[in-house]
Amino acid sequence: MSRPRLNSAQRRGLLGSALLGLVVIAVVGAYYLWGEAWQARILYATFVNLLVVVGLQVFMGNANITSFAHAAFMGIAAYTAAICVTPAAMKAVSLPDAPWGLNAFELSPLASAALAVLITGVLGLLTGLFMARLNGVGMTIFSIAILVIVHSIFLHRTDIFKGNQALFGIPKILDLPQLTLMVVAAIFLARLFRESRTGLMLRAAADDEVGARAMGVDVFRVRLVAWVASTLFFAAAGIAYAFHLGTISARPFYFNFVFLTVAMLILGGLRSVSGAVFGTLLISIGLEAVRWLETGPVLAGVKLPELLGLSGLALGGVIVAVMAFLPNGLMGNREIDDLVLRRRNGG
Amino acid sequence: MDYLIQQSLNALSFGAEYALIALGLAIVFSIMRLVNFAHGEVIAFGGYSLAVTGTLLTGNPWILMACVVLACMAVAVVLERVAFRTVRGADLTTGLLTAFGVSIILQNLFLLLGSPRPVAATQFIFLDRTLTLGPVRVSSLQIYETAVTVAAIVALLLFLRRTTLGMALRAAALDFEMVRLCGLRANRVVAGAFAISGFLAGLACIFIMARRGSAQPHMGFDPVLSAFVACVIGGFGSLPGAVLGGFLLGIAEVAVLILLPQSAGGLAHAVVFALVALILVWRPDGILSPAREKGDKL
Amino acid sequence: MLEIGRLRVFHGVIEAVHGIDLCVREGECVALLGPNGAGKTSTLSAITGAARATGTIRLAGRDLSGLAIEDRCRLGIAIAPEGRRVFANLTVRENLVMGGAIRRDRRALAAEIDSWFQRFPVLGERRDQPAGTLSGGEQQMLAIARALLARPRILLLDEPSLGLAPQIVGRIFRIIEELKAQGTTILLVEQNAAAAIAVSDSVHVLSNGVVTRQGPAAAFGDGSGLMDELTGVHG
Repeated sequence: MSRPRLNSAQRRGLLGSALLGLVVIAVVGAYYLWGEAWQARILYATFVNLLVVVGLQVFMGNANITSFAHAAFMGIAAYTAAICVTPAAMKAVSLPDAPWGLNAFELSPLASAALAVLITGVLGLLTGLFMARLNGVGMTIFSIAILVIVHSIFLHRTDIFKGNQALFGIPKILDLPQLTLMVVAAIFLARLFRESRTGLMLRAAADDEVGARAMGVDVFRVRLVAWVASTLFFAAAGIAYAFHLGTISARPFYFNFVFLTVAMLILGGLRSVSGAVFGTLLISIGLEAVRWLETGPVLAGVKLPELLGLSGLALGGVIVAVMAFLPNGLMGNREIDDLVLRRRNGG
Repeated sequence: MDYLIQQSLNALSFGAEYALIALGLAIVFSIMRLVNFAHGEVIAFGGYSLAVTGTLLTGNPWILMACVVLACMAVAVVLERVAFRTVRGADLTTGLLTAFGVSIILQNLFLLLGSPRPVAATQFIFLDRTLTLGPVRVSSLQIYETAVTVAAIVALLLFLRRTTLGMALRAAALDFEMVRLCGLRANRVVAGAFAISGFLAGLACIFIMARRGSAQPHMGFDPVLSAFVACVIGGFGSLPGAVLGGFLLGIAEVAVLILLPQSAGGLAHAVVFALVALILVWRPDGILSPAREKGDKL
Repeated sequence: MLEIGRLRVFHGVIEAVHGIDLCVREGECVALLGPNGAGKTSTLSAITGAARATGTIRLAGRDLSGLAIEDRCRLGIAIAPEGRRVFANLTVRENLVMGGAIRRDRRALAAEIDSWFQRFPVLGERRDQPAGTLSGGEQQMLAIARALLARPRILLLDEPSLGLAPQIVGRIFRIIEELKAQGTTILLVEQNAAAAIAVSDSVHVLSNGVVTRQGPAAAFGDGSGLMDELTGVHG
């Protein structure tokens, strides 16, 4: 009578997630063994991006719908967590004009994070109720609307969010080890979602919506679930961001960040979690190299000119090239365990 | 009274600009299902080409206008050739992301070859004067903009009804393969669509430059974002929908600016986008959505 | 006029037609019969270039392989496709102009369109209405006229009687007969065996992607012997 709790695809998913987790841990280990102190910040930023990209994969990858709203949700979570956790004495300085007594209370880091996740999740649900009704282009435009609305509110309510100025004085709560744990957990959750019943139905609906409906898939419901789930990943990323940097501003939660993360997902291949992970790592490494070129370094005795915009150019070039030559990204539909197991079977 | 006239003209000229850009997006989308995120960079290219030809070639604004329009048409056609042809027939997401990548590349090329700061190009500023019509004072630019847009729409309508290429474009929106089965070259039809979208972007660029007086890498981004919204309101891929959506958006923007208290002026954009989101919820396919079945055979 | 050798047609990875041979001589009407899914439409798609295929397709001695859809049309292949596929948002007249879009002789084209309006007065009366408002039979006439306005060497007809009322079917086949009498070369795909055999010179029966029977139309009588093949029932 008793069925195994996980089917074979899900057990494969656990294996794949564990392998990806090892990759992540290997990167961290490499940093602790050979890295330099200034690289910690880059690694931390990469892992925050990794949380976002894995979250993007949950919705974009499984539903095959482009969404640009993730920066907004990440921003909401980052600001909520930051405002809650910053000590009241500090907020009297940093947010002197805040309404509703926002500068007169403080919460523990855990409570702040929980509240940030809750608020982001509720907003995700509310937007999702509308979003999941739309078709492809409508959804993308709707997600852009969310991004623009949230960003204008950040900019307009300077009394709460400080706009493009820094909201400072946030205590530093998380560091690389905790974030690494979060990333590994996110990888497991995203992969298990992909292999879950809902994930499977969502992928079926992405391939053939009419067919999936005819098979009894409630496309609205599965899209909604994926949308809300992905906002929770963005919430985690936002919290991790705010709890480390000490200051936040509205600027990073807009189109440039959206471009960057979407490029990461595309390069790896949006249909698999492994693609999300590899895409993020590759682009992060590549961008560091390009950024170094951008500043006009001295190479073999020659001072190169300053090339502002080179990193953006490279990013766009990656997107176009991938779409033209590898429309399914590096990984396509494959996960890391597919590669490993095939090699074992073949050899 | 004159306040009312001024505001109506405001709404019309905003709407006209959106309609011009939205039409360009819609005509490309209708025949190849491509959400052309790079359209804003076509406009920006027009702006930079004005800055370059204006300094190197001539100061004559009429010649420069022709140059801007031609530059926009050329770059639109070239983009199709080098970037979008490879993803023709691919799914919506692939096309959208490709266009998105092209947009980033162009923006950064402008940054790299030009400058992150605005490049002055003031040759069209003269279009913007204050006219006094009896008791009412209005901006000449807004009148030109509305009139030119109306003229462009009429011309486009004639083109679509009277010429073979125009008919082919309308037919291709419904059944591209059947158009090819009639012997029309797919590449030429698509290039025609991009040329038209570039032409309309060029017109919009002239007015944008007349208002800004300078070119910047991101100058096309916001207008095109609004034009996307206009397209969605009207029904993506529908040409009448693009025009309707453009003017509705213009009216909505001006109405929001009037109705919102001064202190909340920064939220105008947010309110307009929220309205759009509501329209989408009410009518997921837009107001004038083109008929398209979801089945296999069209 | 049209010679097909060892034609295989693919939809994605699936092979729909497994190497058929077919020949249509000038002025001839050849019927391609078969049940649903036999590969008839796939064969036509291979000829127009809309489907991927291997084997040889020659039109008036010229090899068509590797040519795009539009280039094949320009060499003289026109089709009234399955489901008619008139441009519903264009007017009847505009549909006909699209049919003759590759022609340079604009004046002759206009005159020819007018002559079609005289031939099919229903189309003439509705020349400025959207083609989507026409009935199925009217749309079929429009699709045939549109194809012929390209002045093709060969006309491909894909199930012209599909979904039409019996009287209208009779009308469509009379039109096909007239076209043949005028010397039009026709490849006719049909499920209505009796009517198709009556207007054709020779008949090929296609089943599961292979030609199971072929011969002069006279050998098939009224087509009643084809019941098994055409309903897809095999003994």
